[in-house]
Amino acid sequence: MTSRIFSRRLLAVVLTVFASFSLVWAQDVPMGVLIGESLSKLQQDSSPEAFRNCVAELKRIDAMAPGSAAPKYYIALQSLNFAVMNPHAEQTEGLIAEAEQAISQLEEIKDADQSDLCTLKGFLYMVRIVQDPARNGQRYYLDVMDYYEKALKLNPDNALARQLQEKFYEGMRQQ
Amino acid sequence: MKQFFASLFLALTALCGAFAQTPIHGTVTDAQGPLTGVNVFVVGTLDGGITDSLGRFSFTTNRTGVQTLRAVLLGYEEYEMTADVATFRNMEIRLREKAASLDEVVVTASTYSIGKSSQIKTLDALDVVMSGNSCGDLVAALQVLPGTAVVGENGKLYVRGGESEECQTFVNGMHVLVPYSTNVEGQSQRGRFSPFLFKGMSFSLGGYGGEYGQALSSVLPMETTDVASSDKLGVSASLLDWNVGGTKAFRQSSLSFNAALTDLGLYTKLFPDRCDWTLPYRKLAGEAQYKWELSANSVLKTYAGYDWTSVGMRTEGRNLSMNEHNVYANATLRTRIGQGCTLFAGVAESAVISDIDDALAAGDRYHNTRNEVHLKAELQQRFSPQFKFSAGVEDYLRGSGKQYNETGYTLSYHLLAAHVDAQLRIVPRLFLNVSARGERLSYNREWLLMPRATLSFVPNTRFQASVMAGRYSQTPEDDYIARGQFRLRQSTADHLILSMQYATARTLVRIEPYYKWYHRLPLLSDGVYTAEGYGYSRGVDVYLEDSSLLKNLTLTASYSFNDSKRLYLDYASPRTPEYASRHNFRLTAKYGFGKFIVGLAETYASGREYAAGTTPCYNSLDANVTWLAHPKVIVYASLNNLLGRTNVYRINPDGTQVGATRDRFFYIGIFVSLKNNKAYDISNF
Repeated sequence: MTSRIFSRRLLAVVLTVFASFSLVWAQDVPMGVLIGESLSKLQQDSSPEAFRNCVAELKRIDAMAPGSAAPKYYIALQSLNFAVMNPHAEQTEGLIAEAEQAISQLEEIKDADQSDLCTLKGFLYMVRIVQDPARNGQRYYLDVMDYYEKALKLNPDNALARQLQEKFYEGMRQQ
Repeated sequence: MKQFFASLFLALTALCGAFAQTPIHGTVTDAQGPLTGVNVFVVGTLDGGITDSLGRFSFTTNRTGVQTLRAVLLGYEEYEMTADVATFRNMEIRLREKAASLDEVVVTASTYSIGKSSQIKTLDALDVVMSGNSCGDLVAALQVLPGTAVVGENGKLYVRGGESEECQTFVNGMHVLVPYSTNVEGQSQRGRFSPFLFKGMSFSLGGYGGEYGQALSSVLPMETTDVASSDKLGVSASLLDWNVGGTKAFRQSSLSFNAALTDLGLYTKLFPDRCDWTLPYRKLAGEAQYKWELSANSVLKTYAGYDWTSVGMRTEGRNLSMNEHNVYANATLRTRIGQGCTLFAGVAESAVISDIDDALAAGDRYHNTRNEVHLKAELQQRFSPQFKFSAGVEDYLRGSGKQYNETGYTLSYHLLAAHVDAQLRIVPRLFLNVSARGERLSYNREWLLMPRATLSFVPNTRFQASVMAGRYSQTPEDDYIARGQFRLRQSTADHLILSMQYATARTLVRIEPYYKWYHRLPLLSDGVYTAEGYGYSRGVDVYLEDSSLLKNLTLTASYSFNDSKRLYLDYASPRTPEYASRHNFRLTAKYGFGKFIVGLAETYASGREYAAGTTPCYNSLDANVTWLAHPKVIVYASLNNLLGRTNVYRINPDGTQVGATRDRFFYIGIFVSLKNNKAYDISNF
């Protein structure tokens, strides 16, 4: 597994599926709009600075409604998205820690979508593999696949889980 | 007109005010200096900024009046200030480092975690299988860890100068009465559980909390894997065992099965040993698991396993023949009730029936049955990031019967236990775990209260130091209870352990000196066992693991020094038990290249003391290779004792030496996934 399978195209994938995910939190329309605006800035600029700003903005949105799942989901997603594209950047470990914290917080929310949670957990292990394929590949590849499978079992329409799973299989085949 | 202009002026002023941008700026520091990446913002808005490399931030807001400014950075306490927004200028914010909570700190003292017991796994099932001399045996793989001793004649776990019976195994929190497959005397016994059953193991060499009891020295709690997400089917074969297993995954549950036949007949023909077998070792085993996620917060796990073992050999003029049936089943339910509260309930049943003909003399007959039901319930409550509490009750219902020719006994008793366990952060970086366990033994109506405590200093993620102390108990073996006229009290051991660990991403160093005092050990006196025995065991364990020297190379080194003496069983005076060796040293290396993983293990143990003399030292150099032949095919081969040294395990009273029945042991096995969408995943277990 190498990081070449995780090109910047992944960002486009993640942003494309945002629309489908916004349905999950349709009840938070103003929040959805705020999140959408925040994420849309990454379409113009996907520099490390822009990612950090985006995650910071998402945390401000999260502070507006601490019990809401949506901002936490996107904090984790965007942090991992940055980490998978920049596995050894200076900011990466900090953002992975943000993602881990957001995932832990999501687990505590009763109504959090379990399929999305599994997707994030699979993505987290995938990032760890991309960071150090030799060491972490054997350790975590089954976890990645298990989490994506479970995500799709819980919600067969989870487009992000499906696309990340396909990317992962593609990477495995290249080995 | 004047009034109109005045009103217009006021309205415009108000309008301008509404869209006025109030600047907010300042710096954020901690005790060491400026902090980069701090998210500073006005709560309830998107207005905010991130500090630069000099800790500076600057942004504007259109909010007016009293507002709350917040500064957040992972690992630091949140800063908040509520004041008129106009005053948020030239601010000097100082953040305080956040003390790690109980959930963020995993105290590792005296414990080796395998699998994902904690956040990051260190070893998984494949690592266990590929361990130098394990041949896929979980128990053998654990013997590379410090604190364990080499006792070749039975292969069981002996920890820090304690008997093998002093180490107890738990599956999903439930006790296993006999965790080994049986064999005749002098032959190594394997653990009865496959490493592929488990996602996490936590091998504690002492100082464990109140949840675990009936173990004087150590506990091996293991947690089975979660509900499977996809179907699997696989087979494996070697010169001595054949295996088929699989899993059917349902929407919220999964059903797994496994069947295995072990037969040393073919192997013994190919590689004869020094035994005269009348019936080569044979074991038929079947296992099934059903796991059900009742909801996102509740999981039901069930396991059932059955082993039938038979073996026969000609020895000392008799034809020893042995048969054993070993059944183990458990069911556990874990559910998160909410608000940090978790409920656990479980039941386990162990039953072992053994028959031996010509056990000690030609024509004799030995029959033994052992049975245990373990019931357990526990409530865990997380009150805050600084305080966790758990309390539980359990009951061990035991029955046993032994018949040797015309003599024998039957016994039945139960042991009721309760425990409370509190984990708290006293001050930042200082953690305390205090627990108490109370037990009542039915046959002598004895109560026992055992306090335990662990104090840990965790200044950062790399270093931790702990001191552990506590009292532990265990009922004597059934034979001693029966010959103690049902008055024998529980044996106890007091542990005092100091643990120091330094860990980086690729290097781990741990040093643990310990002292154990044994009390009330069974001692034979005038043909009756009394609780007058005593003893001590002291020593130091050192462990080093490193993967920084060379890419794909992992090295481990472990050294254990043990000095133990005890007066128990039929000993006339205090002496070192026969199973204990003073020095144990292991060195392992694992290197991966391409599709191959090669492992080497060197094991050394100093001689063991017997009444008739001391055995020569034990030495074995073992090698193994794993070939990832295909995503669905794994081939594994190992050769134990490459140098062919004849190791001696025992010296009989007449001075004869008893050692391994074969000098080398060769193993080759192939694991094939017939149905599995995952590569290199063993499909059977």
